[in-house]
Amino acid sequence: MRCLRLALFIAILALRSSSFLAGATVEGRVELPKSHAAPVMAKRYEIVTSGGVLSTSPPLAVVYLDGSFPKSNSRETKQIAQKDLTFIPSLLAVQVGTKVEFPNLDDTYHNIFSYSPAKRFDLGRYRPDEKPIPSQVFDVPGLVTLRCDIHEHMRGLILVLNTPYFTITDAEGRFRLSGLPSGHYTLKAWIDSKTTREQSVELKGGATLPVDFP
Amino acid sequence: MKLLGALSFCVVVSNVCAFESDDFLDRLDAALTMSAFHDSLRARLSGTIELEDYHFQQPAPALIDSKDDNLLNLRLTLFLDAQVGPRIYFFAQARLDRGFDPSGRGANLRLDEYALRITPWDDGRFTVQIGKFATVVGNWVPRHLAWENPFVNAPLVYENVTAINDRVAPASALDFFRRYQGAKYELNPVIWGPSYASGLSISGRLGQFDYAAEMKNSSLSSRPESWDVTEVGFNDPTFNARLGFRPNQMWNFGLSASDGAYLRPEAERTLPPGRDFGDFRELLLGQDVSFAWHHLQLWAEFYEARFEIPTVGDADTFAYYFEAKYKFTPQLFGAVRWNQELFNRVNNGAGGRVPWSQDLGRIDIAAGYRFTSHTQLKLQYSFQKETSAPRNDNHTLAAQFTVRF
Repeated sequence: MRCLRLALFIAILALRSSSFLAGATVEGRVELPKSHAAPVMAKRYEIVTSGGVLSTSPPLAVVYLDGSFPKSNSRETKQIAQKDLTFIPSLLAVQVGTKVEFPNLDDTYHNIFSYSPAKRFDLGRYRPDEKPIPSQVFDVPGLVTLRCDIHEHMRGLILVLNTPYFTITDAEGRFRLSGLPSGHYTLKAWIDSKTTREQSVELKGGATLPVDFP
Repeated sequence: MKLLGALSFCVVVSNVCAFESDDFLDRLDAALTMSAFHDSLRARLSGTIELEDYHFQQPAPALIDSKDDNLLNLRLTLFLDAQVGPRIYFFAQARLDRGFDPSGRGANLRLDEYALRITPWDDGRFTVQIGKFATVVGNWVPRHLAWENPFVNAPLVYENVTAINDRVAPASALDFFRRYQGAKYELNPVIWGPSYASGLSISGRLGQFDYAAEMKNSSLSSRPESWDVTEVGFNDPTFNARLGFRPNQMWNFGLSASDGAYLRPEAERTLPPGRDFGDFRELLLGQDVSFAWHHLQLWAEFYEARFEIPTVGDADTFAYYFEAKYKFTPQLFGAVRWNQELFNRVNNGAGGRVPWSQDLGRIDIAAGYRFTSHTQLKLQYSFQKETSAPRNDNHTLAAQFTVRF
């Protein structure tokens, strides 16, 4: 009987401490703008034209916890591919210091470049089988617009953030961001280059806070 | 001086407001793109505004038509690209400027291109296109617009006027040479720019090979006025073709050929009795190669052309160029091009045989800077040397500022 009581006490203690240590969670919805018009590819001077149409990327938002957080020591690597003459994904959020690779999965050349103040680069023309995969390290926070010098319609975005706490909404605007530290912070929703919404949040370990950005 | 001021203003504005102007033009692009019927119908209006200035010696080089040594040209180009389902594509290009080629004339509004393209299969094995559109010959056409062209002008073979006059047939060999000294705009190059003639084309890719063939209403050397089907019909059509081989993304090789009547209908009354303008043809063979890897791009084209000239006989010419472009930084590029055109000798009507136009070589050197992904400045210097009489040299300076939207 004593053993049973001791076991029960230890279990309760473990549960309480885990709920104290567990990160906070925010979830909710961002009101997204209307879908962009579907892209049109200029094929005027292409002797060889493939059929089909370009896929449409719905507007998405990046939700992130703003604040001063220690930089991650491990250098993460992410990818944005060029496939079917579009960037996949069309929106990527990364923490400062992340390396992004740009594999070419089409059978034609691409030439990715960016003139954004946060990162200026031009990868030139490279083959699909080129190794190592051309990449860039994004070490300044800000918005980076990716373009292709050959295919004018191609447009991609990388949002470089100081925080390790971020997520991208689904096409409905829903998001869930977990593992957050307790405390008072500002939660931001980046919608486009001109629109970022924000709300103050009080986060408690183990608790889920509903937050909507109407 | 005015141009320098205008260009400096454009450069300062572009640099200071780079991010804002890019953002604004991206939003404008989104506003000018529309879709309907669940994206089955998509259309995009886009364009360029070009401000260009030429400073040259007289006689003005190539197809520049001006008695002054300075020529300022402002051009607005509008494009419409529309996709209807996965199989149908339509495009049009309209321009407002001082003539198709730089000239001292007044404002001129034209519909330069319009075409309907049908692609029955997804893999690109076959495409058919009808309308008024650029030729399939060679490899210069895909970069002939201001944004893509590393230079302000075209390669020599696309703009150097020869002694060919498509409006009047020479009465004699002597007359042929005398006319060459006349108004330049009466004369024709081997290929007139991108040759937006009217007609029908088929094209496609089969493995590493691609093919294109077209039937056009006028020849490659024909002037822009001849490209409209209302000006020149299909009584004597021109046939052009190109066979391409692309072993990988880096290399592209092509063989082109063309055969068509080059005289305009009004030349018929000046022809020898019993001859039709369809009897006098422009025959052309072309070879092209291009290479691209990382920041380097190379192009070369070689053309052998023959004009059948009334009362003179066959007049042959050989023209080629080598062109290289290199991006030094994401925004700065340089380009250099060596062009040459050589003419064979024909009877001059006075008992001698002389080149039927001036042999010449030209070097073009250009530098370009993209301030933003929508604004670009190019500066070019060209030196042209005639290597046969009258051995005129020509130095040309050109600047072109382009805003793409």
